[in-house]
Amino acid sequence: MFGGATLLLYVTGMKFDTSGLESHGLLIGTNNELLSGLSTAPSFDIPSTTDFDGFQKEAIQMVKPAKGTTTLAFIFKEGVMVAADSRASMGGYISSQSVKKIIEINPYMLGTMAGGAADCQFWHRNLGIKCRLHELANKRRISVTGASKLLANILYNYRGMGLSVGTMIAGWDETGPGLYYVDSEGGRLKGMRFSVGSGSPYAYGVLDNGYRYDMSVEEAAELARRSIYHATFRDGASGGVASVYYVGPNGWKKLSGDDVAELHYNYYPVEQTVVEQVMAET
Amino acid sequence: MSIFEYNGSALVAMVGKNCFAIASDRRLGVQLQTIATDFQRIYKIHEKLFIGLSGLATDAQTLYQRLVFRHKLYQLREERYMKPETFASLVSAILYEKKRACKRFCVVAGTASESLYGACEAMFKPDMEAEELFETISQALLSSVDRDCLSGWGGHVYVVTPTEVTERILKGRMD
Repeated sequence: MFGGATLLLYVTGMKFDTSGLESHGLLIGTNNELLSGLSTAPSFDIPSTTDFDGFQKEAIQMVKPAKGTTTLAFIFKEGVMVAADSRASMGGYISSQSVKKIIEINPYMLGTMAGGAADCQFWHRNLGIKCRLHELANKRRISVTGASKLLANILYNYRGMGLSVGTMIAGWDETGPGLYYVDSEGGRLKGMRFSVGSGSPYAYGVLDNGYRYDMSVEEAAELARRSIYHATFRDGASGGVASVYYVGPNGWKKLSGDDVAELHYNYYPVEQTVVEQVMAET
Repeated sequence: MSIFEYNGSALVAMVGKNCFAIASDRRLGVQLQTIATDFQRIYKIHEKLFIGLSGLATDAQTLYQRLVFRHKLYQLREERYMKPETFASLVSAILYEKKRACKRFCVVAGTASESLYGACEAMFKPDMEAEELFETISQALLSSVDRDCLSGWGGHVYVVTPTEVTERILKGRMD
């Protein structure tokens, strides 16, 4: 048994986790020289706490920023429509009304940002680098499937370490339009319609109601814009500017960036009622 | 989020030359979700006395109903309106707080209170006329709630002079 274990160590060259062999070590007290290469201690440091799983969960909850945002993307006949708001909030405080939440990975692929801004920006930039390297190595563009898989694998490796990323990868490759949802829990889903963030329930309501596959680009853009507007109206953590991007066979193009306050008064103009109600004293 | 940030609110009041103004936002929310955009936070006790209540909406409404009840009884007994100082003592007593002896020129409350403090400090001048006071208080309110997720969606301003009370709705950002 031990001869076999030693052979394994030579062949693989890895550090062998022998916590399962501990009981055997106790029985054979004199043959310690055989065990000298095999450590019985755990192979990584853990914090000294009574409840390790609970501690880890609490640590993650502490650093986990709420995904206060609204982003959406959907595939239709002409390509992919991607839209997002532009508010960054820290609890109740609005830290910015002009955040770029649609990240241009390369001229034919877009990523959306929800969760930690730094995490999303860094990993999307990293993904852009990997996509370019793929192009240079293989003399052809990477598919949306491949790009989303690269990102999902990276995020899975950091699972449980406090990254907060809820992103959609939208693009146009040889197989046509592609849309994937990827998050920091390690999930990756292919689909036709997604919305991510605290405002997503409101956006889904409008998006699901108005969606048809055979829409024109203008109709799809208006649906995306309207969905973001309604989410910003109801959700406190979404607001600012509703940006709409279109991804077609020739790459992405920014269609509009409208301030949602202006959109509100466009969709629901204020009627001129009595200017002032003046209560005069007798 | 604390219980004071559950519904979200913003309130500001300013004193001018022979007039005062009190303003509030109009949002009622449940944490991040907006439920109503026409929620009233400022209540009239009598022609020259208004009270604005921030914090948890259910508590604010209950407190208002209690205060109105007490004031109506006072009116029946004394055959006159309660003076503002007396009313402030009544509110303090009901809230079991130490009575504040000082009169202030600029008062703020709500989830946007820090922004409101800053805006008031920057914009307030003593002895403003009613029109200028309205402009100042409106600007202070709107700019502060635009930095707060939990308040806004319009504004409600009352300006009170010796002869009239003017109520105005402000057109604000609805996000």
